[in-house]
Amino acid sequence: MPIYPSENKRMSLAEAASLVQDGMTLAIGGGLSWREPMAFLREIIRQGRRDLRVIGTAHGIDVDLLCGAGAISVVEESYVGFEHDFGMAPNFRRVCENGQVQVHDTCCHTILQQLRAAEFGIPFLPVRSVQGTDFLKLHPEYKTMTCPVTGLPLVLVPALSPDVAIVHAHYGDAQGNLKILPPLVADLFFIRASKHVIATVEKLLPIDELREMEPNVPYFWVESVVEIPYGAHPTSCYPFYAYDREHLAEYHQAAQKGPEVFADQYLTQYVFEPVSHEEYLARIGGMAKRRMLESWKDGDDSWRKLFTAPEGAIA
Amino acid sequence: MSATTITYATLSEVMIYQVARTIKDGELVFHGYGSPVPTLAMLLAKRTHAPRMIHVEGATYGINPEPPFLPPTSNDWVLERGRVMSLGISDLFDIAARGDMGRMFLSGVQIDRYGNLNVTAIGSPDNPGVKLPGSGGGCNLSADVQHITIWTAGHRAQKTKAGKRSFRFVEHIDFVSSIGQRTRDGIPRVALGLRGGGPEWVVTELGVFDFDPVMHILRLRGLYPDTTVQDVLDNTEFEPVIAPNVGVVPLPGPEHVEIIRRFDPLGTHLHEFKPMELSRRFQL
Repeated sequence: MPIYPSENKRMSLAEAASLVQDGMTLAIGGGLSWREPMAFLREIIRQGRRDLRVIGTAHGIDVDLLCGAGAISVVEESYVGFEHDFGMAPNFRRVCENGQVQVHDTCCHTILQQLRAAEFGIPFLPVRSVQGTDFLKLHPEYKTMTCPVTGLPLVLVPALSPDVAIVHAHYGDAQGNLKILPPLVADLFFIRASKHVIATVEKLLPIDELREMEPNVPYFWVESVVEIPYGAHPTSCYPFYAYDREHLAEYHQAAQKGPEVFADQYLTQYVFEPVSHEEYLARIGGMAKRRMLESWKDGDDSWRKLFTAPEGAIA
Repeated sequence: MSATTITYATLSEVMIYQVARTIKDGELVFHGYGSPVPTLAMLLAKRTHAPRMIHVEGATYGINPEPPFLPPTSNDWVLERGRVMSLGISDLFDIAARGDMGRMFLSGVQIDRYGNLNVTAIGSPDNPGVKLPGSGGGCNLSADVQHITIWTAGHRAQKTKAGKRSFRFVEHIDFVSSIGQRTRDGIPRVALGLRGGGPEWVVTELGVFDFDPVMHILRLRGLYPDTTVQDVLDNTEFEPVIAPNVGVVPLPGPEHVEIIRRFDPLGTHLHEFKPMELSRRFQL
């Protein structure tokens, strides 16, 4: 929401991540297994952030990883899971069930209305829905009223302005203009409603080149840009790469075995030990893995193979 | 695969056909993410009895896609293939909120007599025994969409480790994530001024149901060739209404089964079914 007029928004990953402080409300871009800002989330875990509140719509490994690292104390998403591929999110489940994390589940249109109220600069927006459900008990900040125009009941949901929106864009430039390819999920709503916007980008382009692509986020909303190829791995960032199902299977198996095994087998290996993003990319399988994740372009058969269980990898 | 060589349909294919039959031609229809059975039902309906149906894809919000196969995740470019364009997330929810979405599909880990659904938590959300993934857009859409088709392949009550039976169709629902025909206290949804008509059909692996028009309680309308009224009663914790003359539901033709198998060569929808249900097959 503030305006960031600076001409140069480039930062290192560590500098950008340090904008996130303990206790902040974070809106994570992307959705499910698509275009999650995973490299950024690994960095805030390395920096030891705690007590974050995450808000948004349908998410997966991004929120589950933060739960597994003990970085979150409140989850206000509409869904956290691995869909019909791997099912429930093990770390998310565990920290909700043991009380480490407060369950503040929301619903997609409700949270959109809250973000739009912030975007419009008004205190709330009404919805007809939510009545008759237990989300009203979960959210005492929602108010009910009789509509002065129709006489029918309405639920008023307050404006929500996250402290930080973190999105992974396909392209960006040094000034901070971004081009995000669809599905955009809730990214543009997060960007317009949040106080700080941080973008990691697959490719940093010269300003003229980006302008030719018709950016969909203007630079003055963006505070920080970091170029990180494969920054969404293990989620997908088409047209660059499909999601890494083999890696997700490894993740999910480690997470199912409880916090100690997850810390030992996953966090150490993929979050804490890699000293650089290049080292992370080597650990996930180097060039061979990257070629595989890019092979969706070779035709439907290659694409289909990326969704077929590797031998023994999937429970 | 040619339809002429198809001699049987699996239970899952028969269920997909039942869900497809709830779709009317010309409706704007949306399925949630992680919902391969309704996705296949929509792809099937549009290619058979509902060619003017508007298909909005579950996470990409692509319009009328022609995916080469169903992937196990919903926000994937595979599901963008052949689409006219994609809607934005607010376009989609605004269509529903103003009353223009014809049909949507929801499911639940607990389902009560009025079609209230729980996908949030077993036990109290303050201290959940099981934290479920959450309702996505289901809470809002259950209020706003004109008609809801509920589906589940988990109607059959399961034995817990303690030897008790665990019902999906429950007497008391722990958390109402999405609203049914009445609130859990029995207040009819019309009193809330909601736009949508609420749950209309319920398709399970035991039968096909609607709701009694007066009492708004789940009502059995059709069985499969291998299920009985007693199966339904035994596996439902509350007492459902049994419609007069409950018969066997229509089975799909080979042409329907061919379409389902063509769109799901990876068997993505099979994840929703327990092994004992997957062994059920019906001669066509």
